[in-house]
Amino acid sequence: MITLAEELTLLAIEDDGAIAYTAGQVGFGMSLTAACLVELNSRGRIDADLAAVHILSREPTGDPMLDLVLSSLTGAAEQSVEQWVLQLSPQVPELVRLTLGALVSRGILALRETRFLWVMKERRYPVIEGKERKEAKLRILETLLGEDLPTPHDTVLVGLARAGGLLEGFLSTAEIHRLETRIGEVGGIDLIVRGAEAAIREDQAARARAVMLPMY
Amino acid sequence: MNQPTSALKTSQESINGVTIVMPEGRLDFGAASEFQAVLEAALGSTPKPRGLIVDCSGLAYVSSAGLRSFLVGARSAKSAGAVFLVCSLSPSVREVFTVSGFSRLIEDFPDRTAALAKVG
Repeated sequence: MITLAEELTLLAIEDDGAIAYTAGQVGFGMSLTAACLVELNSRGRIDADLAAVHILSREPTGDPMLDLVLSSLTGAAEQSVEQWVLQLSPQVPELVRLTLGALVSRGILALRETRFLWVMKERRYPVIEGKERKEAKLRILETLLGEDLPTPHDTVLVGLARAGGLLEGFLSTAEIHRLETRIGEVGGIDLIVRGAEAAIREDQAARARAVMLPMY
Repeated sequence: MNQPTSALKTSQESINGVTIVMPEGRLDFGAASEFQAVLEAALGSTPKPRGLIVDCSGLAYVSSAGLRSFLVGARSAKSAGAVFLVCSLSPSVREVFTVSGFSRLIEDFPDRTAALAKVG
């Protein structure tokens, strides 16, 4: 079974194996970090509330990505999900690298290196086994188009896909607009997802403030 | 390091075919699966309840994992054809329900009487 972070990463892979531009955005990286926190929560390593992330166990999970995040959390002072997601931003490239590596080693993605303008190396990750990606998209669509109460996993998947700008990869702007209420209802139930959303908003606000700083 | 706690006690009673589950204490990772099992058992009892009300008057704390167990319980109730409601949320638990948007998916009532009236 693939992890939540792997599911999100698959949603960022385009049909030709290129990584969607969304994956370069801050929201995607923070969603990936939040996905790790959700996995650590479900594996009993952490718990979270509105105030803080609490470490329950330092025992490694065996998943390099989760253990990277877990080792960053342990020993540090407790802080909120939002603060952790912001603080772990520098680790995002490594988290993406580890996730892509895991998907390649599972045989879900292939790795192809090509040269762009003969010099610049470009990596593509064509999908070998499209089942997992299709399933993730279908689950999101079923959750959004249905009226049933979502599963905890589906609420997190929808919430982090929205926060990471991944819904745009397979839903039109008009569809997203039409489903906005349902997306908000089911995608925000999880406290960790809420924290990640707050972190993304804070990051965007900080960037906006930096741009608006007077030059004199 | 905080160890998983299981500082949650649950009791239940049945009123006119409606099961009322009363958790007391902290609903965190350590208690979530047990709480979930209590809800599942209540829904699976014979005769099947028409409704399941979680009376949260004794619930002092809900974590992320605890909140998920409510969602799983609500889904199970829906599958079983039972109404799922919560009532008597303390201010701190209400804050979690409100911030998470959980209250938009699951109806909550100020007290047990109001919740029972809703089940009918």
